[in-house]
Amino acid sequence: MNVNEQQLIEYVTEQRWYGSKSRTVAHSQVLDLVTLRAADPEYVLALVEIRFDTGAHEIYQLLIACDDGELQLDGLQDPALARELVHGIRAGLTLQGNEGAVELRPIAGFAGLGREMLTARSVGAEQSNTSVVFDDELILKVFRRLEPGINPELEVLRFLTEHGFENIAALGGWYAYGGGPTSATLGILQQFVRGGRDGWELGLEECESDTDRFLSRLRRLGEVTGEMHTVLASDTGDSAFCPETPALEALPLLTATVDEEIARVFLDLPEDNELVAPIFGRGEEVREQLRMLAHAGSVGKIIRTHGDYHLGQTMWSAESGDWVILDFEGEPARSLTERRRKRSPLRDVAGMLRSFAYLAISAGASDEFEEQARGTFLDGYFETVDDSLLPAGQQAIDRLLSVYELEKAVYELRYELDNRPDWVSIPVAGIQRLMEQVTTG
Amino acid sequence: MTEQWFERDPLWFKHAVFYEIHIRGFFDGNDDGSGDFRGLIDKLDYLQWLGVDCIWLLPMYQSPLRDGGYDIADFFSIHPDYGTVDDFKEFVEQAHQRGMRVIADLVMNHTSSDHPWFQASRSDPTGPYGDWYVWGDDDQRWSEARIIFLDTEPSNWTYDPVRGQYYWHRFFHHQPDLNYDNPEVQEAMLNVLRFWLDLGIDGFRLDAVPYLYERDGTNGENLPETHAYLQKVRAEIDARYPDTVLLAEANQWPEDVVEYFGDGNECHMAFHFPVMPRMFMSVRREDATPMYEILDRTPSIPGNAQWGLFLRNHDELTLEMVTDEERDYMYTEYAKDPRMKINLGIRRRLAPLLDNGRDEIELMHAILFSLPGSPVLYYGDEIGMGDNVYLGDRDGVRTPMQWAGDRNAGFSRADWAQLYLQPLMDPVYGYQAVNVEAQLRTPTSLLRWVHRFIALRKEHPVFGLGTYEPLRAENPRIFAHIRRWEDDIVLCVHNLARSAQAVELDLSAFTGMIPEEMFGRTRFPAIGDLPYLLTLAPRGFFWFQLKAGDVS
Repeated sequence: MNVNEQQLIEYVTEQRWYGSKSRTVAHSQVLDLVTLRAADPEYVLALVEIRFDTGAHEIYQLLIACDDGELQLDGLQDPALARELVHGIRAGLTLQGNEGAVELRPIAGFAGLGREMLTARSVGAEQSNTSVVFDDELILKVFRRLEPGINPELEVLRFLTEHGFENIAALGGWYAYGGGPTSATLGILQQFVRGGRDGWELGLEECESDTDRFLSRLRRLGEVTGEMHTVLASDTGDSAFCPETPALEALPLLTATVDEEIARVFLDLPEDNELVAPIFGRGEEVREQLRMLAHAGSVGKIIRTHGDYHLGQTMWSAESGDWVILDFEGEPARSLTERRRKRSPLRDVAGMLRSFAYLAISAGASDEFEEQARGTFLDGYFETVDDSLLPAGQQAIDRLLSVYELEKAVYELRYELDNRPDWVSIPVAGIQRLMEQVTTG
Repeated sequence: MTEQWFERDPLWFKHAVFYEIHIRGFFDGNDDGSGDFRGLIDKLDYLQWLGVDCIWLLPMYQSPLRDGGYDIADFFSIHPDYGTVDDFKEFVEQAHQRGMRVIADLVMNHTSSDHPWFQASRSDPTGPYGDWYVWGDDDQRWSEARIIFLDTEPSNWTYDPVRGQYYWHRFFHHQPDLNYDNPEVQEAMLNVLRFWLDLGIDGFRLDAVPYLYERDGTNGENLPETHAYLQKVRAEIDARYPDTVLLAEANQWPEDVVEYFGDGNECHMAFHFPVMPRMFMSVRREDATPMYEILDRTPSIPGNAQWGLFLRNHDELTLEMVTDEERDYMYTEYAKDPRMKINLGIRRRLAPLLDNGRDEIELMHAILFSLPGSPVLYYGDEIGMGDNVYLGDRDGVRTPMQWAGDRNAGFSRADWAQLYLQPLMDPVYGYQAVNVEAQLRTPTSLLRWVHRFIALRKEHPVFGLGTYEPLRAENPRIFAHIRRWEDDIVLCVHNLARSAQAVELDLSAFTGMIPEEMFGRTRFPAIGDLPYLLTLAPRGFFWFQLKAGDVS
């Protein structure tokens, strides 16, 4: 199979899951090819390296279909290719490539793998992955950018499954690459939440029709979140998950990281963007506020977290009448080692609180809505979370939450500037809000 | 599938930032007053944040500690102060999970006189270990070999009353040299390497490698037999342990050191010792000539090899590889108090050497990071820690890492008196003034600057992989050069002077390109036909990425 370098670059750099839109690409090459199906149409898994002008590089997973000599770089468009992967997981295949091998493995005891799959549809491409749904029963998630090590999605789902946390979609299997130029989780197979409503969509709808009902759902979401953190911190025997007392310099380290992110983002702020105007040139003030907030005192415990927690990562299941938590990959723009780092559970909480700000603006909800949403969610959360994980005292909790909210808002600002310029005003408002927050004591 | 935390990359060490750690001095995880592996694990998040790619551990083995652990009494166990082999394994695994590799010091040349091999050798000359060390009936042989620890050792031979013979030692008398003419010794040392590599370690810094063999009529350094043995070690590593590194400590002139790379079949890396004192000389003299000269004198090395570059390390700032005249100059300038001298060197840390001048410290880092090679940072220098010249030997540069302004500098919860050495307390470099916590909180601190600087270097593999092309200008106070790799072209210009300087650089090869300053990404005027004029602040520097002119 011959793939033209220019064609590869053009394809990869146009995808939503391509993470480095602001960098200049110099070269591209195929690092390894693994045949999923040899007969025509041929299906191939390719590891593609994108090399930037500075010499740094990233590796992406491509699934390529080759029908009668005609290449389809977006092979997942062909449901048969996706089905081939699920068959492979079911059968526990190991496929040898030119350099390394792909292992496909089912999870023992997962019921959903026995049946035939009739229909397959690909669902909207995400920031870091592409998903295909089979018969509204199974969902195959294909990770695109590959970093060495285990993907937290697989790691955390497996942990939560083993430790009896029920508000997730069961893990059915996974596939991974190793033995070649890298070693990485390639994708997972999960139960599809049938009739589930995405928490974000549900929020948009119920903000108009029945705000109180949605607020009561948020209280439940708070409880589920607290339970999730309690379970994530429940195994002291597993060093990857064991809760830890953070090092003395943990909070200053967090502050330094956020501070540098603020400095970087403000350095790149476009001068001619009206939406950015309220905070343009005020980077120093934001950093000043961060320093005030950072005198939070204790951090509590650090644990493995969801890592990219917001309404879009939740689903209301009509079947169970409860929330299901999805997407444990962590923030796609951060490195895998960073995403696996233990942090205060309040970081997830802050992510969700930021999500309420997005919802309030998008749904055109009343001014009080955001406050009510925050209040009710936090009530539920504090009721169920193991409070030995949190900093001591409400003031320390509030301040650490604010630090994380600021971190998140700054991250959002960069993301929206790069990807969704129309949404820029939301993180701008969030940053403004945090700047005006009075820090006393 | 066992988890792997790295992409395959046999040349990873060429674009890595190394960080040298004295385990005893880093962090005390069990409150006994001495740093250990549990403590190191606690600080991995900090090292990851800093941007470290590879941690270099000073010797961690069982040892009577008469030479900071370079006197090894058992190659297969960890010194109990530092923990256990299991602690070590856990540390390596945790470092790997954070994307950091680990190499450890290994002394191949000698052991401690406490080592059971030596005890067996002295008490039973005809027994299995009788021939494992270098014995002689008198102390006259190999008189051409220099004495390295001049201050303490009168001879390379010491009489052993038990065996009734003299034994050979290139370093302290309690460190007898192993006899590499004995094939059993050769194999035993390979077993040591295999043991640690099987535990997951990513390579070794090979201590004192030039002295493995002795031959009549030579000074016993850099002998062909030594190179042959190192090539044997490399072949073993290449066959069984991919992506590992052998870093040679050979304090020699560059033309001798390159021999340790072989044809790319010996050591992967070697320290470039002579460039370091010349950086200090250049900054003090405000003259780039010593640097240009030593780099001109440095032969090219195989493509799969790399220089290790450093400003300071756990030893004295060594002045073996300078002329007598240069040494006198260095002593006058950098060791005003005779206590600061030791052997042929100066036992001080980076910040005190540079009078704690922030501009000077930044400039030295900039030069170090710009040179062809991989930088090796010494723990504590990223916060500008000081030293204590009143402590014996080289302990003055091995005091506890200053984590915070709290008790014991945040290094240990043991009693003050129990600490292996007390942290610095003076008003300038003491832990109240200089510590990690305070510098993390201060955006303009040295630590935060070093962190940003490491990140910048790592975004540009050119610094590790690229060519070095000197760009000598008429103004001798300017050290400028071009680095080039694939599409990345970087121009580095450093002002060594205490005063502002202007320089005209011949950039005619790059006409039409636009220099973009790499820190703030400010675009400078395009390069035209005339010499390119730059003005630099005192001790200032610019790094530019040269970008194609047509890109808007």
